Amino acid sequence: MSAREPAAAGGDAPTRWRALLASVLRESRAARGRLVFFTLCLAIGVAAVVGVSSLVSALRSGIVGQSRELLAADLRVSARRPLPDEVAAFFADRPHRRADLVEMGAMASLPTDPEDGERAAASRLVELKVVDGTYPLYGELVLDPAGPTAADLGADAVFVGPELAGELGLAVGDALSLGGAEFRVAAVVVDEPDRVDFAMTLGPRVFVGTEGLARTNLFGEKSRVRHVSLYGMDGDPTREELAALERELRGALEDTPYVRVRAHTDAQPGVRRSLRQVEDYLGLVALLSLLLGGIGVSQIVRAWLAGRTQGVAVMRCLGFRAREIAATYLGHVALLALAGCLVGGLAGATLPWIVRGYAPELFQDAAVPLWQPLALARGVGLGLLVATLFSMPPLTAVWRVPPAAVLRAEAVPLPAPRSVRLGAPAALFLGVLVSARVQGGAWLPAAIFSAGLVVLAALLWGGARLASVASARLPRGRFGPYVEHGLAALSRPGSGTTGAIVALGLGVLVVVSMWLIESRLGRALRTALPEDAPSVFLVDVQPEQWDGVRAALDEHGARSTSSVPVVMARLRSIDGRGVRELAAESEDRGRATWVYTREQRLTWMDELPDDNVVVEGELWSDPDRAEVSVERDYAQDLGVGVGSVIELDVQGVPVELTVTSVRDVEWRSFGINFFFVVEPGVLEGAPHFRLAAARLADADAEIELQNRLAAGFPNVTVLRIRPILEKVAAVLERLAFGIRALGSFTIVTGLVILAGAVATTALRRAREAALLKTLGVTRGGVTRLFAFEYALSGLLAGTLGTVGALALAWAFLVHLAELEAELPWWTALPTAAVATAVLATLSGLSASLRALRARPLDTLRG
Amino acid sequence: MLPTPPPTPDGDDARAPGSTASSGAPADRPPQVECRGLTKRLPSGARTLTVLDGVDLSIRAGELVAVLGPSGSGKSTLLGLLAGLDRPTTGTVRIDGRPIEGLGEDELALLRRRRIGFVFQSFQLLGNLTARENVLVPLELIGFEEARARADEVLAEVGLAERGHHYPSQLSGGEQQRVALARAFAPRPELLLADEPTGNLDPATGNRVLELLLGMRERHGTTLVLVTHDPEIAARAERQVHLFGGRLERDTGAAPAAAASRGA
Repeated sequence: MSAREPAAAGGDAPTRWRALLASVLRESRAARGRLVFFTLCLAIGVAAVVGVSSLVSALRSGIVGQSRELLAADLRVSARRPLPDEVAAFFADRPHRRADLVEMGAMASLPTDPEDGERAAASRLVELKVVDGTYPLYGELVLDPAGPTAADLGADAVFVGPELAGELGLAVGDALSLGGAEFRVAAVVVDEPDRVDFAMTLGPRVFVGTEGLARTNLFGEKSRVRHVSLYGMDGDPTREELAALERELRGALEDTPYVRVRAHTDAQPGVRRSLRQVEDYLGLVALLSLLLGGIGVSQIVRAWLAGRTQGVAVMRCLGFRAREIAATYLGHVALLALAGCLVGGLAGATLPWIVRGYAPELFQDAAVPLWQPLALARGVGLGLLVATLFSMPPLTAVWRVPPAAVLRAEAVPLPAPRSVRLGAPAALFLGVLVSARVQGGAWLPAAIFSAGLVVLAALLWGGARLASVASARLPRGRFGPYVEHGLAALSRPGSGTTGAIVALGLGVLVVVSMWLIESRLGRALRTALPEDAPSVFLVDVQPEQWDGVRAALDEHGARSTSSVPVVMARLRSIDGRGVRELAAESEDRGRATWVYTREQRLTWMDELPDDNVVVEGELWSDPDRAEVSVERDYAQDLGVGVGSVIELDVQGVPVELTVTSVRDVEWRSFGINFFFVVEPGVLEGAPHFRLAAARLADADAEIELQNRLAAGFPNVTVLRIRPILEKVAAVLERLAFGIRALGSFTIVTGLVILAGAVATTALRRAREAALLKTLGVTRGGVTRLFAFEYALSGLLAGTLGTVGALALAWAFLVHLAELEAELPWWTALPTAAVATAVLATLSGLSASLRALRARPLDTLRG
Repeated sequence: MLPTPPPTPDGDDARAPGSTASSGAPADRPPQVECRGLTKRLPSGARTLTVLDGVDLSIRAGELVAVLGPSGSGKSTLLGLLAGLDRPTTGTVRIDGRPIEGLGEDELALLRRRRIGFVFQSFQLLGNLTARENVLVPLELIGFEEARARADEVLAEVGLAERGHHYPSQLSGGEQQRVALARAFAPRPELLLADEPTGNLDPATGNRVLELLLGMRERHGTTLVLVTHDPEIAARAERQVHLFGGRLERDTGAAPAAAASRGA
């Protein structure tokens, strides 16, 4: 028998993987109850992750798949001034098709009724798109009625966006005034290829032909004009060829930095950026409910192992190493988790179909693949990761079970090895961090998210423990049996309620804080116009029109009217160095290009308004040179200070200015402000227009003024601030709805976990119920006892979560958004706490139905 | 977090079927199990309870030893210490001459896996596995070739060939203990430790289980340490060790070495 060496056998014998696999499968056979709770815990979070990811992927692939149609061209060249000849020269020997457009803001109004000459007709700021007959090169301008094309616009027809038709009550055949000329509405625009989301624009779309534009007075000094040439290259170039062509074109336009070039391969960068942001934010919120599900999994595994101590002892006795038992159980967890993740993943994968049902405008292209297998894989993978990681801490119990427990129930537990004790939580944190990186798109937000989560969970846990200790210390015999029982349940060790309270509390925290922040931000945006801030801006007022416009303003009761001349210009060089060169040196090249090459609006004035404070140098202090005063942040961006010399290109004329002062501007005053203010006497001869701002009493007065100006000064653009703020608030609301919807998933997960904690102790609960019944308590009485217990847990979770939410919202609003918080401290707390208590009671009782129904004798005997 | 060496093909600890542990080892070999000054103290409230007090014992391969004593005399504790389930407060346990107190929990597990079988008073079958699977588990653990055939063979040996697919809860106490016997003998351990194997059974059933246990031990040539408080059962053993209050009171067949060390 002694051919083999017992002691030398050592701890490095091979693990029998097949034996472990067999154990995993056997373990998983009769685990229906566990499977149900695993599925409930994980499915919600996985569905959220897969849903967000599927939707964003589907929208993005829609953009990529039809990028050429979305740009209506292969290449789009644009500038805030007529395109330089270099552009046409570049394309001269490259076979192509071309469409020219001009985009600008303008006022559209109904023609004045000759019968009612006094009353100005209704008007609206619109986004004008002037097209020639070749537009669009790709994609389709969809009109109602179908039939006409851009070539049919001629000199007197317009196509109008549905928003404008609705607002002004326009029908096909009606007349519309634009820039002093009258047009006929030929069709309503259903879809245009290179459209911009209406929410991102200042007004509805109006198409007008080149000949039509010539009849208007809209081509004076305009501030918001964009000249565009669309190019379609012959021979269907590949993406690579197009990218090469784009590079060559950029090279050819070195000397005209104000020209923007875009290839269709880079279509909708703004939309794609927003999609990316939505994906990152909503992705993290979705991850949150998955992680809460992880807490649930952890609870279930803990409760399950507590009932397995004897089995583990027997296995250790039979010669299983602790790590082999843990691996078996981990495999079992993964198998159950896989089932739960697939259920949730498949549910989440249907989100694109659901969203298409509600918002078909998001999916213009029928070919967009709604089925996103990669998103499904991501959700299921994260779900498995979360489930296994959260099982690790409770699984360390396997190491602590003494094999001697097979002989003696009270055998002293063994200590788990250090590597296991420390490794399990470390792996858990690392896993959370990696999941957050996958969902959040970058390491820094992932680290903040993970650390924040740990801190919040630790605070909630601390609060729950404190309450537990306090409830144990309360003097007994004072509150009646029901409350006493609830208090006792809170203080009972190892009941799993602490974990459930943490999870539920986190859910409440997320939802309540989101609601608080969003509602406060929304309200701030709607009412944020400071008392004296202007509510309308008048753009493109020609110098000779100013007296008339001013009179109209006074007539409509405008207060604090102000007006400045505006000259358009571009930066050419700083201290002798060209802006291209400067932009190329910068680390953040995209932003630097914008900083250096943007269209500059200049003004001149003798004295600065009150919201400007010189912080460096002195205003107009150099008698010998032309001076400029620069806003502080912009000066920093440009890298200029007092003494720097900047050269501007004022519509073809070079102007050299010396920086003699740097100003601090209070932008939040909403007043008219400029990065560059030039000394009087320098720019007066340059072509300019006036910009005016005024405060009107209310929206009605603004609309009346707008209608009046549209009739009398059709080239003047009226920009109303109130509707813009409302639009921003509406966009915010849409995003907040997504966050709240996903956030409510976390509450549901928290409730499931509470129900799970209750159900995993079903046996003990059944015994308790049976015992109470034998002691003469009725079933109703037992129900009430249990109800008090769940209500107390819910009350505690709701209170802790709401306190956390209020603190978080306060910190965000006061420190990040710099708003006055004005939080509903005293109403939110009881409302949320009681609501949570009610939900917790319902879910707890539904999980203990079986225990309540059981007959006492069966339970006590069994 | 669960580092495990890569699996290797069955080999080192798979035993060829039929090769039983040798009985009648040469006299110059060390005893199969040997303990010296084995003491176990347990905290009991504020006091310390001495459960086992300086026990010396040597067991040769193939021996059948009954450990007798009233409740609380330390019988089960001694059994646990011999198998490395528990650690002594002082004293040593040697298996085949090698001390086991230096072994880690994993090494002890491997030692049990390969050489030691158990039968308990309360059966200790894994409730979520069928009878056959309970027998299969230790076989799979050592990579026993044709584990299934072996499991069926031992189940037939204990007369439960037809009940293999039943779960423990569907079996009577006697049947459960027979499954436990099959599980203990299936991997052909060299040493079998039985803790009151008939303690939870009525006399008739208990007898049947005892006959089975002794018969199988005879056929397999296994060393058996049988803990009991029943003198009738103990009488079936060739050697009886009496424990009282944690001390070894009487040993009917003390090995010469052990006797010598006690100054006999």
